[in-house]
Amino acid sequence: MRRDAIKFGFLFPGLLYLMAMAVFPLIWSLTLSFHRWKAATAAPRVFVGFENFWNIFFRDPRFWNSLRFTALYVALVVSIELTLGLLLAYILSERIRFRNFFRVLFLLPMAAPPIAVAFMWRMLLNPDAGIIVKILNALGVNMVRWLTDARFTPFVLMAVDIWEWTPFMFLGLLAAMQSLPISLYDAAQVDGASRGQIFWFVTFPLLLPIMVTLVLLRAIDAFKLFELVFGITGGGPGTSTESLSYYIYTVGFQYFDLGYACALSWVFLCIVLIMANFLLQRLRKEI
Amino acid sequence: MRHKRKVEAFFVVAWIVLGLFSVWTVFPFFWGAVTSFKSPGEQYSTAFLPFAQFQPSTYAWQVVLGQAEGERTRQGLWNSVLISSLSSLLVLFLGSFAGYALTRFRFRRWKNKDIASWILSNRMFPPIAVAIPFFLIMRTLKLLDTLPAVIMAHTVYNLPLATWLMIDFFRELPEEVEEAALIDGCSPVQAFFRIAFPLSLPGVIAVYILCFIFSWNEFLFVITLSYRKTMTMPVIIAGTLTVRGLDFWKVSALSLLAIAPPVILAALTSRFLIRGLTLGAIKE
Repeated sequence: MRRDAIKFGFLFPGLLYLMAMAVFPLIWSLTLSFHRWKAATAAPRVFVGFENFWNIFFRDPRFWNSLRFTALYVALVVSIELTLGLLLAYILSERIRFRNFFRVLFLLPMAAPPIAVAFMWRMLLNPDAGIIVKILNALGVNMVRWLTDARFTPFVLMAVDIWEWTPFMFLGLLAAMQSLPISLYDAAQVDGASRGQIFWFVTFPLLLPIMVTLVLLRAIDAFKLFELVFGITGGGPGTSTESLSYYIYTVGFQYFDLGYACALSWVFLCIVLIMANFLLQRLRKEI
Repeated sequence: MRHKRKVEAFFVVAWIVLGLFSVWTVFPFFWGAVTSFKSPGEQYSTAFLPFAQFQPSTYAWQVVLGQAEGERTRQGLWNSVLISSLSSLLVLFLGSFAGYALTRFRFRRWKNKDIASWILSNRMFPPIAVAIPFFLIMRTLKLLDTLPAVIMAHTVYNLPLATWLMIDFFRELPEEVEEAALIDGCSPVQAFFRIAFPLSLPGVIAVYILCFIFSWNEFLFVITLSYRKTMTMPVIIAGTLTVRGLDFWKVSALSLLAIAPPVILAALTSRFLIRGLTLGAIKE
């Protein structure tokens, strides 16, 4: 009996905190999502049923636009980061000197505040004075329209994300590769397998589970894209780089259309939780 | 002979790739550092070698830390330190208690694994989804633009991850020591504070640093919950964007100030960081 009190005493502070600060806000947000509440006007809060959700799915091209952009962003960014990370990890899985130095070096982009990263890149990419534009101009490549032409801006954001998060894939895969059993490699080498064969038939299949986990982790994280949009493009030109988070932020904190923003949040939440569910199932096995 | 040459060629390729990737990674930081030592007149120039190509000036640092805006910057740094350290401390206590409960006791109604993965699932949801209700709650409680509001938000943001990682650490700790202590008449609470917690101190510190970094870097909650008094460094950086455009020298100096603490902490705990970022899926 006393033991029970102790075990719940250990668990409950944290659990109650999450209930109060995560579950309760989300439930409140759910109830608000059935209301029309434009806080910028004096109009009172009105219950409107599913109207907000109806509007999201059938009358809001801006929602679909942001969803499309975010999905495209996640798909491209994660696959490029995975490919580059795998390539780098493969090259560096051989004994390389100063390995610890490089490990620290490549952690820098991930550890820096994303908003600082965004502003640094905003400077580098500035069409009038950015160093990258100047270098490209000197090389004869004229690409200054990349922050004003809606066809290019999404890719600029992706490039920054790739800069920031490729090291995550790289260091993750490198660590995973180093924990693979050496005996397998020895066996493969004795059998006369080439470097490429060893990679494709030994390393790659063994890495596959961890790759899936890393991809899910990164995809969920990339889906929440906010700081880079806020700092580099502000969603523009037009709405070409408006991510879901940024769109909800705009609706909630600039138009103060709180009911609609909550409805959007819940749609977003459901999308992310579907992905999170796969990841959680994989991580559960670890503990 | 042929084999040896192939191996050498591989190493040459490896070093070239490594070199290029290092330059690509470091260049933005390097450029920020160079720009923060340029005078406003030179801020747009392509010169990058101090003394040789341009005369370094401390103008940016005088503005950012001196009379003009020093107070604001110091306030921002202080807020950042306060919010990150206090919220991480809270996270650490709540997280290690819960983590301990989930490794050393068995819960019957819900399985331990279900509780643990439910806790972790709170990490996954997008911050913007709770930002609006948070804003309304804090407005009702009259806590907008106060430190407790941001600290509470950052605590809930970091708690799931910390709990999850603490489960990992306590699991790696041999249970026998605690069992022996319990037989010797030690209470479970004492066993936690005197044995399990001190023994997993390296992990505890690593988790603390990780939470500190996340909290320091967090932007969305701060920008929605504070407007003046509790601005942290990330929000001050965002505030440099004016209609006139961007003052490169100022943004650079402020960014460096915001980047330095988390980056130094990350470098000190580099071995643990990947494990933390992958939610324990990769153990180095």
